[in-house]
Amino acid sequence: MRNNEPYLLVRTLDLSSPMALFSVDRTAMAGQRSSRCGGEVLESVYAVLALVLVLVACVELGDAATAVDVYRLIQYDVAGAPFGSRLAGLNHHAGSSFSASGADLSRTVVILPVRELNLTLLDECIKSKHPLGGLLLLLPQRSGSRVLGEKLGSDGVNGDGLMRNILAELEKLLVHANIPYPVYFAFEDDKINTILADIRRSDATGQPASATTGGYKFVVSSWEPKKVSSPTITNIQGWLPGLKGESDVNQLPTIAIVASYDTFGAAPALSVGSDSNGSGVVALLEIARLFSRLYANPKTRGRYNLLFGLTSGGPYNYNGTLKWLRSFDQRLRESIDYAICLNSIGSWNNELWVHVSKPPENAYIKQVYEGLSEIAQNVGVKLGIKHKKINISDPRVAWEHEQFSRVRVTAITLSEFPVAPALLESSGGLSDSRNSVDERAIQRSVTIVAESLARHIYGLQGNIQIFAENSSLSVNPSYIISWLDLLSRTPRVAPFLQKPDPLISALKKELSDHTVDVHIQHESIDGMFSFYDSTTATLHIYQVASVTFDLLLLLVAGSYLALLFCFLVITTRGVDDLINMFRRPPSRKIKAA
Amino acid sequence: MTMFHFLNCAILTFGPHVVYYSATPLSEYDTIGTSVKAVVVYLLTTLVKLICLATFLKVSDTDSFDLYQELMKALIGFIDVAGIYFALTQLTHRNISQTHKFQAVGLGWAFADSVLYRLAPLWIGARGLEFTWDYIFQGLEANANLVLNLSLAALVSLMWLRKNKPKTLIPIIYACVVALATMPSIISYLRKALGWQPPKVVGFELISSLMMAFISWQLFYACQKPST
Repeated sequence: MRNNEPYLLVRTLDLSSPMALFSVDRTAMAGQRSSRCGGEVLESVYAVLALVLVLVACVELGDAATAVDVYRLIQYDVAGAPFGSRLAGLNHHAGSSFSASGADLSRTVVILPVRELNLTLLDECIKSKHPLGGLLLLLPQRSGSRVLGEKLGSDGVNGDGLMRNILAELEKLLVHANIPYPVYFAFEDDKINTILADIRRSDATGQPASATTGGYKFVVSSWEPKKVSSPTITNIQGWLPGLKGESDVNQLPTIAIVASYDTFGAAPALSVGSDSNGSGVVALLEIARLFSRLYANPKTRGRYNLLFGLTSGGPYNYNGTLKWLRSFDQRLRESIDYAICLNSIGSWNNELWVHVSKPPENAYIKQVYEGLSEIAQNVGVKLGIKHKKINISDPRVAWEHEQFSRVRVTAITLSEFPVAPALLESSGGLSDSRNSVDERAIQRSVTIVAESLARHIYGLQGNIQIFAENSSLSVNPSYIISWLDLLSRTPRVAPFLQKPDPLISALKKELSDHTVDVHIQHESIDGMFSFYDSTTATLHIYQVASVTFDLLLLLVAGSYLALLFCFLVITTRGVDDLINMFRRPPSRKIKAA
Repeated sequence: MTMFHFLNCAILTFGPHVVYYSATPLSEYDTIGTSVKAVVVYLLTTLVKLICLATFLKVSDTDSFDLYQELMKALIGFIDVAGIYFALTQLTHRNISQTHKFQAVGLGWAFADSVLYRLAPLWIGARGLEFTWDYIFQGLEANANLVLNLSLAALVSLMWLRKNKPKTLIPIIYACVVALATMPSIISYLRKALGWQPPKVVGFELISSLMMAFISWQLFYACQKPST
């Protein structure tokens, strides 16, 4: 018991609230004088004061002059090999070029406007692993969605196209490099342009920002990026069942229309992919809408099942399509007559391509291709065909239809690209914005696909237009535009979509408005790829004073106080006192000696 | 780095008070008790002032200059004078001379003012990365404020405590007290109505405080002569 007492006391003291302290004092030291007690109360007040001070000291305020939304370059591993920007946190002074003399580049954030970017220089800098504090790339101002039917001047189109090429090149460079410092994208605006002009001016005068000279400091407070745990890809499918006649014993044949909806780009938060593959998704939704109207009436319901699939994982060798196909049972897979994959059909002029894996002489391929090209001719579009053999041992799947071909389903891809893009390219990155897409191109693609499907389903011949303009079954341009606008605002990099993502629910809801048996399939992404989070951040820009200035200020303040002291002593006590003040200590020592 | 800047500004803001105490005979006569009492009176006065402000003034959303409101504020500012008078007369001081008493009260008054109004902004603002001149100006302002408070305390002690002062000087003393008590309103007028920038305002404060100090000093000596 005796041993327990102090322990109890300590336990109670641990509560550290002034009341607890007080009560312990009262019980433990009841016999003592009340004056002692008053002292203890005062001590506990001090404790509270100290606590308050500690709390105040912990308060950190974001009081930056400027806060800018920035988007980090993607960070990912492919089979363990690191790519992209490997860091997120930033706390360095700002510079405006790689060549600033005297600047310590490893502690400088270099700001480069993409408009004036020297790609070869940047390429060299990244390839030579030049140490850099960070890189901030300024993208040209976000232009709002274009007004319908408005035509840009030839100059605007050229400038736009040039910009797009630069962005595509830049993206290719950054995505395939391993960059050991943080790389961020931001949009140009007045604030940041003023700051950039300021930085350039001080760089030009040979005074790059550093601790000794002051200047602008860029701070992104961010944790170490974490690996996205179990990234998922989500496939959505919907059915339009055909009319089964009484004589039909067998299952009805199925036609699949497929588009992959997710994107990949240098900045995941900016990868909206209007063309790749927003255009394909929009076209698929419109085709589903058109056929749902035909299939609603038993008289016009065809003898084919229509299967609509919105697949994910497109940039990663159509991983989602592979998993989707694997989930089918054998009978269903065999019942698929053919599949049409829609990929990037939003910015072509007069030429579309049909990509196939089987030789074009193949009877099924021929039938599909001829069906399409017949309509294309009517619309005035040249439809080419490209044959690319599949190499089973090659893990690269360049087109979505190749996944179908691998499971022996006849399939084609309709695309504006004449050649297959490389891995992680043309998958809806920075350059792929709403401005690059022409909704009329999508409209024409929809007409071609829908018309050829209808002819195949109803076995029509000759020049009959089912989806003719101004009819009740015409392609609806405002539907296309509204969906295209929505997709052009929504970044869709699969690993960064949450599981109940609003976009996925929106797509599901839209598909279930037109089709039945809508089903969502969650799959984990191919283990070869892993991704890191913190794709967006806020950049705080501070204008900081230099150490030199602070030292100078200290010197000035100190000498001011010293002068004030001397002045006050002289005026109130006389010069002799002042002199004595400095003399006294040595004289005492002498006395002591 | 930012802590360094904070320390610099703190030295500029609170250093003069310490220097004044240690350099003048105040430290020799150990008048710290008087100053501490002045601080307590200051706190009570400020409380009364705040209650008055809250009762009689509207909260204006705009930063504009409203004459009626400012007049009201100036009137409430005279509570300060009453507070200083209370500190000088009613408190039982140890036996220190009038000269030291008003200095100790003025010093305590100015120090409390600085701590109350300037310490928190300094702690929050000057430690941020962003550099502004604000806190340096605030430090200079604290210096001007110290001088103004000392002058005010000197004049108040002249006004009520010294009996045999020359009759001709009395209106001047009253005028100066009025000027000093309305100084915050004058400064807010300059800042808001005339739109002066901080450097100009601080310069004005410094110059006016030095002028007021000089005048009060002259008055103090002029009043002291006949008694000695």
